[in-house]
Amino acid sequence: FPEPSQVVSSQKLGSENLIDETSDIEDLLREEDYKEENDYSTETSGALKWKEDLSRKAAEAFLRQQQTTPNLRKLIYGTVTEDNEEEDGDTKEELGGLFRVSQSASECKHKADSLDCSRFHVEVPHDWDLEEVMNSIRDCFVTGKWEEDKDAAKILAEDEE
Amino acid sequence: MATQAHSLSYAGCNFLRQRLVLSTLSGRPVKIRKIRARDDNPGLRDFEASFIRLLDKITNGSRIEINQTGTTLYYQPGLLYGGSVEHDCSILRGIGYYLESLLCLAPFMKHPLRIVLRGVTNDQVDPSVDVLKATALPLLKQFGIDGESFELKIVRRGMLPGGGGEVFFSCPVRKVLKPIQLTDPGKIKRIRGMAYSVRVSPQMANRIVDSARSILNKFIPDIYIYTDHMKGVNSGRSPGFGLWLVAETTNGTFLSAELVSNHQGQGAAVLPEDLGRNCAKLLLEEIHRGGCVDSTNQSLALLLMTLGQQDVSKVLLGPLSPYTIEFLRHLKSFFQIMFKIETKPCGEELKGGDKVLMTCVGIGFSNLSKTLK
Repeated sequence: FPEPSQVVSSQKLGSENLIDETSDIEDLLREEDYKEENDYSTETSGALKWKEDLSRKAAEAFLRQQQTTPNLRKLIYGTVTEDNEEEDGDTKEELGGLFRVSQSASECKHKADSLDCSRFHVEVPHDWDLEEVMNSIRDCFVTGKWEEDKDAAKILAEDEE
Repeated sequence: MATQAHSLSYAGCNFLRQRLVLSTLSGRPVKIRKIRARDDNPGLRDFEASFIRLLDKITNGSRIEINQTGTTLYYQPGLLYGGSVEHDCSILRGIGYYLESLLCLAPFMKHPLRIVLRGVTNDQVDPSVDVLKATALPLLKQFGIDGESFELKIVRRGMLPGGGGEVFFSCPVRKVLKPIQLTDPGKIKRIRGMAYSVRVSPQMANRIVDSARSILNKFIPDIYIYTDHMKGVNSGRSPGFGLWLVAETTNGTFLSAELVSNHQGQGAAVLPEDLGRNCAKLLLEEIHRGGCVDSTNQSLALLLMTLGQQDVSKVLLGPLSPYTIEFLRHLKSFFQIMFKIETKPCGEELKGGDKVLMTCVGIGFSNLSKTLK
């Protein structure tokens, strides 16, 4: 990550650096700035505020992505238990050459023969009598708070203006 | 042996339906071994045998081999044929068990499927016919499966242990499916539901409605819970009552919950007031999970996205159920398709738990057996 001081200094050198970089957006920004020559340096730093910490933001977004997405992906696609044709493990443990030790159903075996049902049961139910739990879904309803751009009251108010 | 080479092999009876359904759609044979091999009563159960018979009825040229103990099943799928069919389902499972798979297969038949299913319409294990009607049918419509002949009707309500219910299902066929973009569930605008009772006092249903409303009214005023009391021959062979609720959003998402009373000879009697309250709380749980598709229909949505045209489909889901996770693995092995899975944390918003955005490109499955007119 760049040090904060470095960021500031690079902005002070802005005019030279900008000429070197040939991005279209920056050219546009510069053209606007030429119109107000007197306030040049402060304007540039303001206009380029979004560029600050770009690498930090990118790194954070990347880490966030790493933490959440692949885990679910790995959970689903990573551990595919292939079924082997061979009877595994059964033949090895024999008692007195006659009896086989029946392996008590391991977790995998248990799952393989459990109930085939699509219902997703609630394992740990919330206490819906509590006010805070009730509030956690408040905005799922039309009676709850709406997003800025969809709030009917706000849109109406804007229309009147 | 040529066909054996590319058949898929699995162990255990779990997820039997999705394996057979995906096998039928992909045309890949499947071999399932060790079905309850260590159980005191090994092999396939009645309800599974009934399911296999149903598959045999709606397809043409399927080859099914079961060994003597019923612990190994080999299934080589034929063509989906459809037409008018009748089937007596096992009462060990609800009609929902069979209907869920039919919903996956029906759009790809040669002739539109018109089927009468008899058995248990509402039980505690499987999604009931009512809930599938209220949630799965609107979902299929999103994929372009619609029309006059698209119908699911409960003719008779049958509860455990006697059964005696009857359901009629008809579904039009489609050559291709539309891709979907369901990324915003919208907001819940109303709650609908039905309290049903058979062979008990009709007053039971009213008691359920009152208690369920007492909880849901704290969130939204637009609630209507119908009462349904089927009589005579339409009430099946056993008494019982239950409730299902559906929350409908502004963008056409349906989230559901349901509860059924204990059946005769199964534990203590359930008070209708408790049932109503608990069912309302289950609906709140489902709303907390959220997403654009009900948790029971996650796998149906993902399947139809996979089979869609070669275009991007997106759907926002609540937490993935274990059934769905296994279904995703099966989709990978049958169709070589992997979804892009993005977690969407809820953050500061008061909209329940974390969501998952599922994205895929359809494989461009087209129904070649559909007759041209």
